Amino acid sequence: MYALIIDDSRAMRSILRRIVTDLGFETLEAADGQEALDHLTAGRIPALCLIDWNMPVMDGYTFITNVRANAEWRDITLMMVTTESEHGQIVRALAAGAHEYVIKPFTPDAIADKLELLGLVAKPVPA
Amino acid sequence: MSAVVAEPSLTDVEMVVEEVWSSFLGAEDPLMIGPPSELQVGWSAAVTVSGEWHGMVSVELPTAMAEQVTRRMLCLDDDGQPAPDEDVADAVGELVNMIGGGVKSLMPGPSALSLPVVAAGRVARPSDVTEVCRFDASWAGSPLVVSVHVQSRTS
Repeated sequence: MYALIIDDSRAMRSILRRIVTDLGFETLEAADGQEALDHLTAGRIPALCLIDWNMPVMDGYTFITNVRANAEWRDITLMMVTTESEHGQIVRALAAGAHEYVIKPFTPDAIADKLELLGLVAKPVPA
Repeated sequence: MSAVVAEPSLTDVEMVVEEVWSSFLGAEDPLMIGPPSELQVGWSAAVTVSGEWHGMVSVELPTAMAEQVTRRMLCLDDDGQPAPDEDVADAVGELVNMIGGGVKSLMPGPSALSLPVVAAGRVARPSDVTEVCRFDASWAGSPLVVSVHVQSRTS
């Protein structure tokens, strides 16, 4: 199962890559929304996209609206991972088709918990 | 509509910086608060917030600390070689992005956060801004300054 990490910061992509790799995902990366759309149009369809909001070229919100405009990509789970924390922006992203919203800074557990809620990661079984 | 003139408190900024540090950098080496110190700025970065509240949030740190932040965030081995400038700029930019986003969340909205501006040395500031909050800290023995500037009031 692939996760596409979309963030203009290599450092943030590296942090997210380590987290989702530990959760069992293989990863693809993109530095902006357009580069992410290029992955999708080339047939590299992930199960999950982790999306920053503020990026050059194409921002995360525009990426989400593009993905949701294409029925072939409706199964992709979209999760915003961003510093933008205003209520209005969260509502806007969810209304545009994001499934979940994580505010930076975050912990690995916060990402894991959201992915569990979305059914993309199995809940750990207590020992 | 004119922008709201408000200032984040030092406690607010301290809380934001500590949250960023504990999430991504400080698991083993916590951030130590104050005192103000003479800082040889190696790298700095700034973001601006515009909308209901206008302000500029900047981070200044010495080269050694910028290198450490970069190695920690990018999980680079310390091979004795300096981290590439491109990686340092990226890591310091993401640092101010998260701190600036945190400060923005505490101020009146709606507002928009700019992409970070990063410089080797000090980032240029507009001449009509005033520092309203300065947070001094140290990490792994190196000093760090986070400051918030707003447009100067004219009488």
